[in-house]
Amino acid sequence: MGTWLARRLIAAVAIVFAVVTLTFFLMHLGPASPIVPSAEQPLDPDVVARLRQQFGTDQALSVQYVRYLTQLAHGNLAVSFSQRRPVAAALADAIPNTIVLAGAALLVDFGLGLLLGVVMAARARSRLDAGLGNATLFLRSVPTFWLALIVILVFGERLHWFPVGGTIDIVRHHSFSFLGRIADRLWHLALPALTLGVVGAAGTARFQRNATLDALSADYVRTARAKGVTERRIVAVHALRNALLPAITLFGLALPFLLTGAVLIETVFAWPGMGKLAADAIFSRDYPVVLACALAASVMVVAGNLAADVLYAVADPRIRITERDRA
Amino acid sequence: MRRALLPLAALCLLATGARRPADCSGDYCGTLVFAAGGQPDILLPPVSVSALSRDIHDQIFLKLADIGMTLNTVGDRGFVPVLAKRWEWRDSLTLVFHLDPRAHWQDGPPVTAGDVAFTFQAYTDPQVNSSSAPILAHIASVTARDSLTAVFRFRDRYPEMFYDAVYHMRILPAHLLASVPRDHWMSADFGRAPVGDGPYRFVTWTPEYLELAADSTFFLGRPHIRRLLWRFTPNFDVAITQLIADQADALETLGPPPNVPRVQAAKQLALYRYSGTNYAFLQFNLTANGDTTRPHPILSDRQVRRAITMAVDRVKLCQSVWGDLAKAPPGPMPQAWWIWNVGTTPLPYDTTEAARLLTADGWVDSDGDGIRDKGGVKLSLHLATPTSSGSRHRYALLIQGQLKSLGVDIQIDEVDPVTFNQRLLAGLFDAALPAWNTDPTPSSSFAQRWTRAGWGRFNYGRYANPNLERLLGQATLSAADPQSAARAWRAVLDTLNQDAPGVWLFAPDNVAVVHNRVAAVTIRPDSWWALVWTWRIPPDRLLDRDRTER
Repeated sequence: MGTWLARRLIAAVAIVFAVVTLTFFLMHLGPASPIVPSAEQPLDPDVVARLRQQFGTDQALSVQYVRYLTQLAHGNLAVSFSQRRPVAAALADAIPNTIVLAGAALLVDFGLGLLLGVVMAARARSRLDAGLGNATLFLRSVPTFWLALIVILVFGERLHWFPVGGTIDIVRHHSFSFLGRIADRLWHLALPALTLGVVGAAGTARFQRNATLDALSADYVRTARAKGVTERRIVAVHALRNALLPAITLFGLALPFLLTGAVLIETVFAWPGMGKLAADAIFSRDYPVVLACALAASVMVVAGNLAADVLYAVADPRIRITERDRA
Repeated sequence: MRRALLPLAALCLLATGARRPADCSGDYCGTLVFAAGGQPDILLPPVSVSALSRDIHDQIFLKLADIGMTLNTVGDRGFVPVLAKRWEWRDSLTLVFHLDPRAHWQDGPPVTAGDVAFTFQAYTDPQVNSSSAPILAHIASVTARDSLTAVFRFRDRYPEMFYDAVYHMRILPAHLLASVPRDHWMSADFGRAPVGDGPYRFVTWTPEYLELAADSTFFLGRPHIRRLLWRFTPNFDVAITQLIADQADALETLGPPPNVPRVQAAKQLALYRYSGTNYAFLQFNLTANGDTTRPHPILSDRQVRRAITMAVDRVKLCQSVWGDLAKAPPGPMPQAWWIWNVGTTPLPYDTTEAARLLTADGWVDSDGDGIRDKGGVKLSLHLATPTSSGSRHRYALLIQGQLKSLGVDIQIDEVDPVTFNQRLLAGLFDAALPAWNTDPTPSSSFAQRWTRAGWGRFNYGRYANPNLERLLGQATLSAADPQSAARAWRAVLDTLNQDAPGVWLFAPDNVAVVHNRVAAVTIRPDSWWALVWTWRIPPDRLLDRDRTER
């Protein structure tokens, strides 16, 4: 297990390095360079030239790349062109918000997805199964940003049930008690997390339905039925436990989905997380921030997949035996 | 079912019952939330380049005097005393400001003439790299005669000396900034938590919002509205949604007309119309697309430019896209500029004359494909427009349609805003649809945009005419009185219109939105929120959120 984990860690570092390198060069291959003043609010070109000098973007690409890697090795993510502060500070502000949103969405994704999947499998080929199947297919098919806009329009703009954006009530949050602040945060989290989570849950449900159906047709389930175990217990205990194994893999794959989805959701809901930070940085050609976001996202995705692999190995002894045999 | 509703009920209970009682009442309560499309870059005026930062600087840092509602920039007529309680001319090149002794920094010390001198040094220091430095080049020195007297010495005499002395510089606290190395100002910690001398003091800046609080000891009068917050939104549409959902109270402009009825439907919002300081035009590149050393094969020809200009129905386009929210300008200018009414006349809309000009110039459709050509060159142009502007996208399509009937082929290149700006700067376009936000005066930017001095800078099309440059010099530097200045500016604009380096498309009126509980709303066209400290919310209109203490 130790050797296996070490190998996976080395591969993870290599992947992160490749992502950073690719992002660095792809950005510079783009059609515009950083610190281009807005045409609406032009800046004197001499001022722009000095800004480029100050930020070091006037140097050769190879020099910039080596300098960036050196800074990175020292834990320095450089200074943001647009925010005029260390990128690490901008990331430190944004990452917790993204983790909260992605975490909540993950809860909705798997909580709702697993539940619906099991219900659909338990009532396979019934009207309920067909109805839920169509609903999940619809939700899986709609673009996340479109769903977000509809949700904002209905629940925010028309009904005023939920705020249309932000993580807190910026006017009153600090006047709330501790519990009030938690409630305020949950109230603001509801729409973005549900929007992001429900789309994922639709996919998880369909996946879980098939996994549960496979488990329900296994020999041990037939044996349990023959022994007189109730159908509810068969589904909840015997089938679900085994059908959960593939869901662990799905969990690892859900992270990239949530992070990419978060770019859109955070933008639409004005959620100040990493997705919004990255989107703003891309549009303003704020290279250090884009690179840092790519770095942070790749670390999170690689770590998520690594965690899923470890969980899988822990949950399924066959994996560990195979790996030990290989070692 | 009942069990399932329990968490929801608990949440509602928390949300409603866990709030401390609101306790502010009277004339000095109130919270105003501005919806902002984006974040400020830094709150240190000399190094900031964002418009949002300027809005916030208006509340924190004072100028010596500020421009009046008429936006007059000639002489000192209409200027309002702020840090300086009075001023006088010692001679034709020396301006003396007497500071208000009541003015103080928010951390205690008084504002002194030493701060004024320090500010000028900082703004003009190449290490600070202020975008205002080129505009301040007319000022030779600023010195402190005593702690309350600042002396400005100019290099030359011109009509907008006073405007240049006061408009571009916000006075900075020397006692806090003198120790910060000048080459570190662009990312100085001070810029994330500034200390100023204005009506509001800095409270906090998070990735989601920025908050200021009224300085109850402000020497010009205590601001009525106690808290100002800027809620950062990723784009304009989200900002409008926040207004409609009552999560924000104000937005400086609604942009294109379709937003107006959408906002009007929200009963809590009031609209305020004011002259815009921006305009857009069809810019012709007089040098070859991508090679600024060669003339453009089509657009370097004055006759072709004039023909295209006369084939564009500017008034109809403006009505079609903007309704009554914009006007087709008589020159490259916003409605807020005083030269709007000097009496120049742009080339008329006349498609017959346009066709005659092209034919006379040798541009005919020789192969019957509907596009004119001359010497094997098709009369075909690439028109660049940014993806961020819906109104300019519509203009591009309409212009394409109008010019097609003249036998001019227009290929539209929609590119993202950064690429668009880069193309303009590099001359990588045939024609483009830029829009400009401007200062209150044409003087500071006109030369950069329409003379040889602006080549490689803001004169993207590299237009130049020595006669125009001479006339511009007369208008900006030697006009002795408003009448002669108006005459000189008319001559400048007439020359420009005859040369047709661009087609002046639209100059919008801005429509601001402010929550209808706010009274005494005054919006200055050049700096929307500059007078917020004079606004108020009457006690009987206060909402729960207005009374909330932080």
